Amino acid sequence: MIEIEHLSKRYGDNIVVDDVSFTIGEGEIAVVVGTSGAGKSTLLRMINRLVAPSAGRVLIDGQDTTTIPEDELRHRIGYVIQGYGLFPHRTVAENIATVPRLLGWDKKRIATRVEELLDLFQLDPGEFARKFPHQLSGGQQQRVGVARALAAKPALLLMDEPFGSLDPVIRGKAQDDLLAIQRRLGTTIVLVTHDMNEAFHLGDRIAVMDQARLLQYAKPADLLTHPAEAFVEQLVGTAERPFRLLSLMTVQDAMEPGHADGEPITVSATLRDALAQLIWRGRPVLPVADASGAPIGRISVDGILKHGRPLA
Amino acid sequence: MSVRAVILRAAALLLLVAFVTAPQLFAFAFAPLTANNAPAIYNQGSLLALTLSHLRIVALATLASTVLAVALGIFVTRPKGREFLPLSRSLVNIGQTFPPIAVLAIAVPLVGFGEKPTFIALFLYGLLPIFENTLAGLTGVSPRTLEAAKGMGMNARQRLWQVELPLALPVILAGIRLSVIISLGTATIGSTVAAKGLGEVIIAGLQSNNVAFILQGGLVVALLAVLIHDGLGLVERAAARRLGRPLDGTA
Repeated sequence: MIEIEHLSKRYGDNIVVDDVSFTIGEGEIAVVVGTSGAGKSTLLRMINRLVAPSAGRVLIDGQDTTTIPEDELRHRIGYVIQGYGLFPHRTVAENIATVPRLLGWDKKRIATRVEELLDLFQLDPGEFARKFPHQLSGGQQQRVGVARALAAKPALLLMDEPFGSLDPVIRGKAQDDLLAIQRRLGTTIVLVTHDMNEAFHLGDRIAVMDQARLLQYAKPADLLTHPAEAFVEQLVGTAERPFRLLSLMTVQDAMEPGHADGEPITVSATLRDALAQLIWRGRPVLPVADASGAPIGRISVDGILKHGRPLA
Repeated sequence: MSVRAVILRAAALLLLVAFVTAPQLFAFAFAPLTANNAPAIYNQGSLLALTLSHLRIVALATLASTVLAVALGIFVTRPKGREFLPLSRSLVNIGQTFPPIAVLAIAVPLVGFGEKPTFIALFLYGLLPIFENTLAGLTGVSPRTLEAAKGMGMNARQRLWQVELPLALPVILAGIRLSVIISLGTATIGSTVAAKGLGEVIIAGLQSNNVAFILQGGLVVALLAVLIHDGLGLVERAAARRLGRPLDGTA
């Protein structure tokens, strides 16, 4: 668990982060969003003390981070930045081995770990281990960047615009991969972005920052239905609201008993995708099937629409 | 490197080795340049020994320049040393602008004749290219790479040795190469203060009005310079290739 308590950063008279407090639960993804210059990156960099806070503190599992030597703290926290900062003079395997080597792991353990991570990120060790970063595509570099950050099995991963330099198609895939890996490893993640779609896609909770202040820290659905300030409402996009809300729920949430004809929709699909299917196929109702394909109910346009607004 | 370039370099090397070990073989080529039955080939000492001591003093002076210039370059790019950057730059610049011949004139009364004043002159003269290139190399490391290194918990020393210096290496090597080439030529003036070197051959030629001698001294220095320039260029390119940005053919 990460507890951020009254964190502030001032440079002279300029307040960059103003008294920000929030808590990130074990294994959660907290996404920090806001306009550029809102203080998101500074907030993130105070967690691994790349920036020294002017006031406040950060607790990791109850331990004040100032009691841990800086370098040791950073060995325990994965860090991924935009552009990744891979070492151009080191191979993929050497890049990934950075923190384990700093920690003095033995060679065999490092080699096993590197191979494990390359497999996890779908990079064939035989092909990629000896390549240099400049020989990789953007998406591959991104994966190596995350693999490097996860090498010493950190409990916490900090990501600063990790998908910022990827094109939209690869970005979506990279986000899905990150989610899958995060669910598997249970790593706690704090991710900074200015992309609202990314925030709603990845975040268990979203922190909205503006002009150094934390405006709201809430679950994505709450951010839509109960925005704390006008700025939050504006940032999430009023026109986008119903669709974002639907994308946070699955067919399971709006399923009705009964029968319908047609190609079934899977129960794990989001309501947004289900609605798209209904519109496109011109049907008011469609059957719902579970993962094995067996019919378990039906879903209707009306039923979905009801979920597209705050339940009074 | 093309096959032709390899053959050319091999031929130059062969020519150089043959000439310094058995200069008499080339007497026929230099004889037309002499007058009054003067010797066609330098006869006041072994060309090989002069070449070796020429190379030795250049190597020693460059080594000393490298150690000081790189150390200074590292120091002024650290947070603690940043304020010394303008001062260091001025000092190194003075070393370059002060003519080596004037350094010799000042050094001889202080340290006597021989290799020492030459060493001092070459050392001072060689600092600037290495220092400037060290600065350029170290400040040219991507801030993102450094941010990542710091974020992963590398301390200042680990960042310097594992990230900054390896990445700056090709540029530093280019500075060393430049310094070596300048020193190879400049070292010939050391013979005016009795340092053993190829300058002796040239000076002997000037004194006896023997164009053949002058040409021999100049030729050996030039061949050395070309070959060493190429050799160091290869090392540089090998270092740069590892960084994924091979230098272009002009190196």
